[in-house]
Amino acid sequence: MGKCSDHEDIGISSTDPCHPPESACGSTGAASPPDSPLAWFEGMIPNCLRYAQDAKAGGTRIVGIMCEYTPRELILAADAVPVCLCGGSAETIARAEEHLPANLCPLIKSTYGFHVQGANPFLEMADMVVAETTCDGKKKMYELMGETRTMHVLELPQKPDDPDAMTHWISELRKFRDRLSQAFGVTITDEKIRQAIRTMNRERSLRRQLAELMTSDHPPLTGRQLLQYKSSISGLPADFAQYVRAIEMYASREAACGSNSKVRVLMTGVPMAHGAERVIEIIESHGGLVVCMDNCTGLKPILEDVDETADDPILALAEKYFHLPCSVMTRNDRRMDVLRDLARKYHAQCVIDLIWQACLTYDVESRFVKKLAEKDLGIPYLRIETDYSPSDSARIALRVEALFETVHQRARA
Amino acid sequence: MIHAGIDAGSRAIKVVLIDGDGSQIVARGQADQGVEQDKLACALFENVLAEGGVRRSDVGRIVATGYGRNAVHVADTTVTEITCHAVGVRQLVPDVQTIIDIGGQDSKLVRLDTSGKVRDFAMNDRCAAGTGRFLEVVAERLGVPLGDLGTMASKSRDPAAISSMCVVFAETEIVGLLASGRSREDIVAGVQASIASRIVAMAGRSVEQPVIFTGGVARISGMDGALARALDRPVAVSPEPQMTGALGAALLARRQHEDANT
Repeated sequence: MGKCSDHEDIGISSTDPCHPPESACGSTGAASPPDSPLAWFEGMIPNCLRYAQDAKAGGTRIVGIMCEYTPRELILAADAVPVCLCGGSAETIARAEEHLPANLCPLIKSTYGFHVQGANPFLEMADMVVAETTCDGKKKMYELMGETRTMHVLELPQKPDDPDAMTHWISELRKFRDRLSQAFGVTITDEKIRQAIRTMNRERSLRRQLAELMTSDHPPLTGRQLLQYKSSISGLPADFAQYVRAIEMYASREAACGSNSKVRVLMTGVPMAHGAERVIEIIESHGGLVVCMDNCTGLKPILEDVDETADDPILALAEKYFHLPCSVMTRNDRRMDVLRDLARKYHAQCVIDLIWQACLTYDVESRFVKKLAEKDLGIPYLRIETDYSPSDSARIALRVEALFETVHQRARA
Repeated sequence: MIHAGIDAGSRAIKVVLIDGDGSQIVARGQADQGVEQDKLACALFENVLAEGGVRRSDVGRIVATGYGRNAVHVADTTVTEITCHAVGVRQLVPDVQTIIDIGGQDSKLVRLDTSGKVRDFAMNDRCAAGTGRFLEVVAERLGVPLGDLGTMASKSRDPAAISSMCVVFAETEIVGLLASGRSREDIVAGVQASIASRIVAMAGRSVEQPVIFTGGVARISGMDGALARALDRPVAVSPEPQMTGALGAALLARRQHEDANT
């Protein structure tokens, strides 16, 4: 069995039935050097907390968001701090289930559980929380949350190609701007929105550059590490500086990570909120390398920028955000187009579709994704349905191993 | 040179030794699974070597598969049972397209492409309905050996409908059926139909023929018929149904050995 002496042993399982395993580079066991950009983002929560507390103490407003359809630009233009409140912890779910059905998406339950327990400091300091009419679970959870939190609900129309839907969406964003303006006593000028657009475009560009490193045959980092490079609060200059350092560092590093026996995985489906990375960790410790994640914690929100030259910045925002291909949209053909492009660009050898339990929209849509993978792309597909509990980790590992064995077997003549 | 496959299942450990050409099974054996999985696997392996007149030094490569594969430390590598059953059944039935494997505590459906490679698979490993466990529960409840269930089912003329989705509740339902005078034969046939319906639910869309049935539960007569009726397709029991996982593992051990030495 090949073993590299200064790397962690990943165990005796082989995902290539005909070739024994080599050790994983960048395996999750190794600690990041303390001064590295990765270490900076591993401290993301304390960094953001410090930032938010200082801002709040200085009179700045904090606005919580729970969806990528919510344009952070408008919050920034209101001189407020946008912070993501999505829950990735299994520990808050038990409290949530006292009020919400157990048969509900774990992300929704976890987010709500933090609210009920008062355990999310960002939520506790928020002056406003933004909700959106996306999936049924979120819509109704927000009603419960809205009883004790100042809330603004954005209505997201769900026909992505309908001009009337776009008109309604534009009007919802104007209403949101007006609400922020009124609530915080600030004037949100077009110029301030444009400034925020430039900031967010810069952030999207930096994160894209990091993600595109994975197109390489031998990517310099793992999918799990790439997932670390994001922040709950957008637009932080310190984060931008670290993204730049990371890009430079990886560009200069000799390609290290893809040993040839790692299977290149295109991961799709639901987002993996901070703390809910178990499945990508299982994939990458059983012979896979997630070269691309098209979900909302991956590429989905950063693929397209907002037009900085548009006369009406609200129109520009509406366009970019309305294009996000979430499964709540009907039909969600854009997601299939994006997957087709990404599979090609990142040379994916298989597709793994992650679906949180009770996520009906991604679950039903998985049929389309399976067909796309098997018929259009000609690569194997695996659907993983799970929640935040680790009780099925061995079962997931078995399926992932079998998927990778299938990929290796096909690669033999 | 001999190569070995060890299938460490939830109820039984199986060992197959094949020759260097990959064409002959030199020896095979099985033993009950227990708590000390590594020790039991090792002991069985040694026994099968002895029975086959094979020295440990004649063994090229060993692959372990099955639920307990990571505990089998004598193995060089592991391969999942999905791949191993596909390889093993394909060796015995070269044109197989769909494999149904029902073991002690899980069931799988594996679809192959026309070249015999795994196309996709579906598994149930979190619910006892649709697994050998259900038959164990029935045998215990009726007070008969597991091996008698097949004969009993074949005597049924009117299988009882078991409506419970859950083995725990089905057991209660069975007590009720017995109390109301249903025969044990009809009950066993009903359980077989119930297991088959779980497989159909897992199979989803089209099931391509030939369909081959393997795993320990395939040895219980009547189960193939129950599956065939539920799937509305002919279902044949694999040769050596309990051994196909270990056979596949042995064949893959041989392939790994060949690849390493070319």
